[in-house]
Amino acid sequence: MTATQVHETISEETVREISDELGEPDWLLETRLDALSALGELDMPDVIRTPGRDWTNLDALDYEGFVDPLNAAEEKDQVGPEDAEVLPISEAVSEREDLLKEHFGSVIDPQENYLTALSTALFSTGTLVYVPKNVDAEDVTIRTTQHSQSLFNYTLVVTEQSSSVTILERQDTGESVEGERYYSGIVEVAAGENSHVQYGSLQDLDEETYNYTLKRGDADDYATVNWVEGNLGSRLTKSSVETELNGEGSETKTVGAFFGHDDQHFDIAARVWHNTAHTTADLVTRGVLDDEARSVYEGVQDVGRDAWDTNSYQRENTLMLSDESEADASPKLIINNHDTEASHSATVGQIDEEDMFYMTSRGLDDESARNMLVEGFFVPVLEEVEVEELREDLQIRIEERLHE
Amino acid sequence: MSSEQDQLKETNTEERFSFKKDESAAVKSEKGLTEEVVRLISEDKDEPEWMLERRLRALEHWKKMPMPTDWPGQPDLSELDVEEIVPYIRPDVDKREGADSWDDLPEDIQDTFEKLGIPEAERKALSGVGAQYESEVVYQNMQEQWEEKGVVFCNMDEAVQEHEDLVKEYFMTSCVPPSDNKFAALHGAVWSGGSFVYVPEDVTVEMPVQAYFRMNSEGMGQFEHTLIIAEPGSEVHYIEGCSAPKYGTHNLHSGGVEVFVKEDAHVQYSTVQNWSKNTFNLNTKRSIVEKGGRMEWVSGSMGSKATMLYPCTILKGRGASANNITIAFAGEGQNIDTGAKVYHNAPHTKSTIESKSISKDGGRTNYRGLVHISEGAEHSSTSVECDALMFDNESTSDTMPYMEIDESKVDVAHEATVGKIGDEDVFYLQSRGLDDDDAKQMIVSGFIEPITEELPIEYAVELNRLIELEMEGSLG
Repeated sequence: MTATQVHETISEETVREISDELGEPDWLLETRLDALSALGELDMPDVIRTPGRDWTNLDALDYEGFVDPLNAAEEKDQVGPEDAEVLPISEAVSEREDLLKEHFGSVIDPQENYLTALSTALFSTGTLVYVPKNVDAEDVTIRTTQHSQSLFNYTLVVTEQSSSVTILERQDTGESVEGERYYSGIVEVAAGENSHVQYGSLQDLDEETYNYTLKRGDADDYATVNWVEGNLGSRLTKSSVETELNGEGSETKTVGAFFGHDDQHFDIAARVWHNTAHTTADLVTRGVLDDEARSVYEGVQDVGRDAWDTNSYQRENTLMLSDESEADASPKLIINNHDTEASHSATVGQIDEEDMFYMTSRGLDDESARNMLVEGFFVPVLEEVEVEELREDLQIRIEERLHE
Repeated sequence: MSSEQDQLKETNTEERFSFKKDESAAVKSEKGLTEEVVRLISEDKDEPEWMLERRLRALEHWKKMPMPTDWPGQPDLSELDVEEIVPYIRPDVDKREGADSWDDLPEDIQDTFEKLGIPEAERKALSGVGAQYESEVVYQNMQEQWEEKGVVFCNMDEAVQEHEDLVKEYFMTSCVPPSDNKFAALHGAVWSGGSFVYVPEDVTVEMPVQAYFRMNSEGMGQFEHTLIIAEPGSEVHYIEGCSAPKYGTHNLHSGGVEVFVKEDAHVQYSTVQNWSKNTFNLNTKRSIVEKGGRMEWVSGSMGSKATMLYPCTILKGRGASANNITIAFAGEGQNIDTGAKVYHNAPHTKSTIESKSISKDGGRTNYRGLVHISEGAEHSSTSVECDALMFDNESTSDTMPYMEIDESKVDVAHEATVGKIGDEDVFYLQSRGLDDDDAKQMIVSGFIEPITEELPIEYAVELNRLIELEMEGSLG
């Protein structure tokens, strides 16, 4: 399977123009150009495949139609406390070239697949979050509003020893652009020794938007990388949240929530690699599907040969509100070290009839009862969200969706 | 290999005798898979034309289909060379006492039987030596008892001749068509032997139908086909007898099992397989269950180099149900990739899958399962439970369930756990006076108990003994 034919504006010239505008050093331009020339040989990201069926059909997307790299437009808030550095990518290339050079593409290979390479070649906006040693940085906010047909966003988070940071990222769509759109976001997190990263994300893009997001953290000794992944918007989302536990005693926790309606398609993955001793992972995801929405969930807990004394847990629950919706799930356990305690579970079901009966017998009408039960379904994951602002945002958006 | 005649002639050349264990073979095909070989098999069995045509069609599928290579974490099949496999050998039927001698058996297999405490006569039967003789006796006795009720239990080759209409209707048509997968196609082309079971309406066969002795009667036949038809309201428990270790140059077993469970019928299919450790065990087992019917699969997978086996149930009628119980044990050099597939295609269908695996000494076990709930299969429920026990750090254990849910009014649950054998448990048992090995053995026995209690006592005992032997490492 070879990649899709790309739009004619995706040329070397385009890439040079973007790079020039950001004032990039040569090595970064080279990385972009290499990614561009690799496009022809790269495959789409892996999707789950069972006999006769791809669970998400990325090849069917019309990249020619919606990728328009030179017309990127966005509105961005990038704020953070004083003792951390939160820089737009255009400033980062000059002020923090050292960090970029060290970490760019070190956690996610730019040529991992067709879409990461496309993102690397064409990204025009982004953020560097740098937290020096022993600094606690709360309330870093990165808010991106897409105003163009396509937008490629790159985020790099670097935390030094014993620092901590809480990042809240949001994506939505602003001025209406005719037709389909594409949003691509790559997030690399390099968590230094004993540092603590909390990365929350709320994706609320317009429902004409196709969305590819890949977030991956590399946790050093005793580091913690926690993710909150909220997906509400877009027509189609393929999103992976991944952590490589490379340091002894490192930990990760992923909390996911999605709510699909109409004909939305969410392909959501939570993955963790236990590569060394004494690591812990906890993956929790809850999703609700209404109308003709469809979810594909893949969870991977990969315990390596050297990962002694591993603890790894995964839970996924999907609630289906409509007969036309579809929920696919594949929680995978890959265990190469026997000194492991691991479990996963997944459930799919509808609203409990007895619960409905109980609620309506207390005087609630059907719809209010249903809405209350859906909100209640999300409570266990919302409780796990440590960032108050994100928790409230998510809760409000869920309520809004229920009343739409 | 220009023509059929040359092919037959070739089998008479000196060369075939270089194959040590077939001195008494009456007919032996060439290595590899060709149209000539397929025609030879069909002719030797004096099959009707339609069966030959089905075989040839299957052969076409085999040629066209790719080998499965890109499943995540699938067993390595690169050492499997079908061109080096002799698909068909018919032993000389006059030499019923033994196509081989006991002494020809590899030492580890002799050892196994020794340790299982099985009498020598029985050992020979189990290992395929003299099986033909034993099986006829056993089989004849049972047949009389069933014939009165109209039950048919016979060799599949015989069924083609004597129950042609039934076989023509059901054999690799709707349940396992040869186009299903590469090895189903292979099986369709060169199948030989196996069992045919027909249970008429409302008949309950109280005792399990066992093909234990018969299974090896074809000597080297490793493409046996089992066809079970349970008419409405009937009930039968079939036990597949490949629990004897197989040996020899053949290193591919590719069986096919088709089970038709009609309205309100109930079929249980149990198997404890312990192929020799040079065997690729690539089977297709499937059942179609009508309204109110119930299918139960119980399988223990012990032997083989690599196993790929996922008994599949299609719940076609309202209220149909399926239960799967599987246990896999992988020791050194083994890769057991097994699980279950269930398609819920009607309302109020139910399924349960319970899978237990043990890996030891570098063995690999994998649970691979698919639960599909189609739109309209409302009020269906399924529960999948996988537990893996690992003994050491050379072993691996993966769990790869797939769930495709198209219907909202359902109840789907999957749960899996992996853990090492509990140090505390071992310590506790040791403190009660057991040595380390016995303590671990006891823990394993407890771990697999849900499976063994589903089996008739002799199989349960055998499974336990086999696991014990594995644990001692005495099979290497």
